[in-house]
Amino acid sequence: MAFRPSTYAFLSLFIVACADGGAPSPASEEEVEGEAGPSSGQMHWTNDRPIGLGMSGVDAAMLESGLEDPTRWLLYGGNYANYRHSPIQRLTPEAVPNLKLAWSFPTGTDRQFEVSPVVYDGIMYISSSYNRLFALDAATGELFWRYDHQQPDDLLVCCGPVNRGVAIAGDAVLMATLDARLIAFHRLSGEILWDTAIIDYREGYAATAAPLIVGDLAIIGIAGGEFGIRGFFDAYDVATGERVWRHYTVPAAGEPGVETWAGESYLTGGAPTWNAGAYDPETHTLFWTTGNPAPDWNGDEREGDNLYADAVIALDPDTGERKWFFQFTPHDVWDYDGNTQVFLIDMMRNGREVKALVQANRNGYFYILDRTDGRFISATAYVQTNWATIAEDGRPIVNPEALPSEDPSVRVCPSHLGGMNGAWTGAYNPGLGLAYIPAVESCELYRKGIVAFIPGQMFLGGGYELIDVEAERSFGVLAAIDVRTGETRWRYEDPIPLMAGTLSTEGGVVFTGTQSGFALAFNAETGEEVWRHRLGGGVRSQPIAYEADGRVFVAIGAGNGTFLESTGAPDILPEGGQLFVFELP
Amino acid sequence: MTLVGCAGPDPASAYLEDPEALARGGSVFTGTCSGYCHGVNVTIADVPNLFDCTWIHGGSNRDIYNTIANGVPGSRMVAFGGRLPDGDEDIWKIIAFLKSEASGC
Repeated sequence: MAFRPSTYAFLSLFIVACADGGAPSPASEEEVEGEAGPSSGQMHWTNDRPIGLGMSGVDAAMLESGLEDPTRWLLYGGNYANYRHSPIQRLTPEAVPNLKLAWSFPTGTDRQFEVSPVVYDGIMYISSSYNRLFALDAATGELFWRYDHQQPDDLLVCCGPVNRGVAIAGDAVLMATLDARLIAFHRLSGEILWDTAIIDYREGYAATAAPLIVGDLAIIGIAGGEFGIRGFFDAYDVATGERVWRHYTVPAAGEPGVETWAGESYLTGGAPTWNAGAYDPETHTLFWTTGNPAPDWNGDEREGDNLYADAVIALDPDTGERKWFFQFTPHDVWDYDGNTQVFLIDMMRNGREVKALVQANRNGYFYILDRTDGRFISATAYVQTNWATIAEDGRPIVNPEALPSEDPSVRVCPSHLGGMNGAWTGAYNPGLGLAYIPAVESCELYRKGIVAFIPGQMFLGGGYELIDVEAERSFGVLAAIDVRTGETRWRYEDPIPLMAGTLSTEGGVVFTGTQSGFALAFNAETGEEVWRHRLGGGVRSQPIAYEADGRVFVAIGAGNGTFLESTGAPDILPEGGQLFVFELP
Repeated sequence: MTLVGCAGPDPASAYLEDPEALARGGSVFTGTCSGYCHGVNVTIADVPNLFDCTWIHGGSNRDIYNTIANGVPGSRMVAFGGRLPDGDEDIWKIIAFLKSEASGC
């Protein structure tokens, strides 16, 4: 059998010898033998038997081909343009009601289970909250190897101990950790290839996203906008784990853009980078997004636009040099991180082809930009929005009544969660021209106050009053948006804010899940609900579809999470991550 | 810290009758302690509600002062002593604000 806990002591020594930037502490024998909790000790079961279908490692051509091969799901966004659109034609509105549960798998951890699984060579890789990593037979669910990351006791995470998935390149599977490390595992054995510290997590940093592979580089962003960090994202050599470049998202003294921060406020400016970006192979351009400036809800000490917070940045992926940027929410005081998923879509507008970048921003507007130069094209509200209107140049015209105050009375939309949020994904059906955006419909009071910066302590400057949640006026939507016009074609409304990701299929179906514990599927063209299956736990994961052993599967994770009370979700549902894999008969 | 050992009325008691002090305490609490931590009328997982009259580490003004000033080891509650803009004054005003806002005690 594949489980070899007794090899851990040997492996630990190996890690110490080859690690770059330090290694996790070794576990005791007791920890290895027991079923420990999420943070009580590192455990690692490697595999020494032949598994998979004998494929070679993942190469650049496979990544660029996206989801053309339905036996693979290699990238967080499905393809580099983030469509999450499976080519499987058999997943039709007529067939999906026949889905049957094939297998399921527990993570053994609580809090949000936000994974988007990776599938390659007949093997599925899923990561859980607290950074457990599992390699499973994609057809049967048999567990091949497992790694439980040892978390320090003093983690600093604002919003739950989440991980959204791994990346795969060559024979390496890469996972970023809450204590701000990037670890590479051999995809078949599970042995650690390298383990690199991104930065000292004790300063308020954490890594929660799936890395993005471009060429020989693994690109990973960082969370910590609530701790007054200086945001950045990095590129690491996939072969060695050595850092190739770092791109800061807040300028240093003397650098262009620092004039957009009053005084020395840039020193605690935030602008985290906690979601995966996108990549355009045609122009060899990387797109990465940034989150809120710090402190979140009090901008008094950081007058100015606060570059490059709440923006999308286009870069040369080889060097990390910026080509252009567009800032969605200058001088944000609502926590409208600009890092929701971006789609790269070529479209016809006014008789000419536009190479567009499209995003349902957390601030409530659906943006279309020209991705060749960052030029603003349009912004259309897709949820209740009253904090600002958008001028012709894309700059918000802020409603002064929507600014946080010490005694707020104006109901401001959207809420600090969005709109859409970078914690979950949308999808895009290129045949229909529709983007599927799960979102929160909720407004609130934004309150600000006096804030002191204390390293390692949240640096927020205020808070929010959930008047819509209390009045049971908040709800969830799945909006099907015409990407050329920004108009909503159809809309599903759920009694509770939707905070799960989406999957689109060539057969014309959209999948998502609810916080009340259901997996849902809709006719992609009409919005008619075609399937509803109770999973039990609230759904916060990113569903995928794939083929294995000649069969068609849909995988979706369930499990509760932090901030349930903030969203009106039912707190009666128990914790515990569980992956469910359904099969077409 | 010397204040902690003093007998007699603590500053928070006096601030309960001082609207400006209560406003200051409320503002510092909102800006520094609420949000994703203690919240403004929000219940966040793992974080004590400070308005329900239940005090895990002691409910006297001096107990609360100690909790805020020295933190709670092993938790996310760090020591705020000497780190707020107006030092101890801000801590006492926060305590007065919390006591004034709590209901049903």
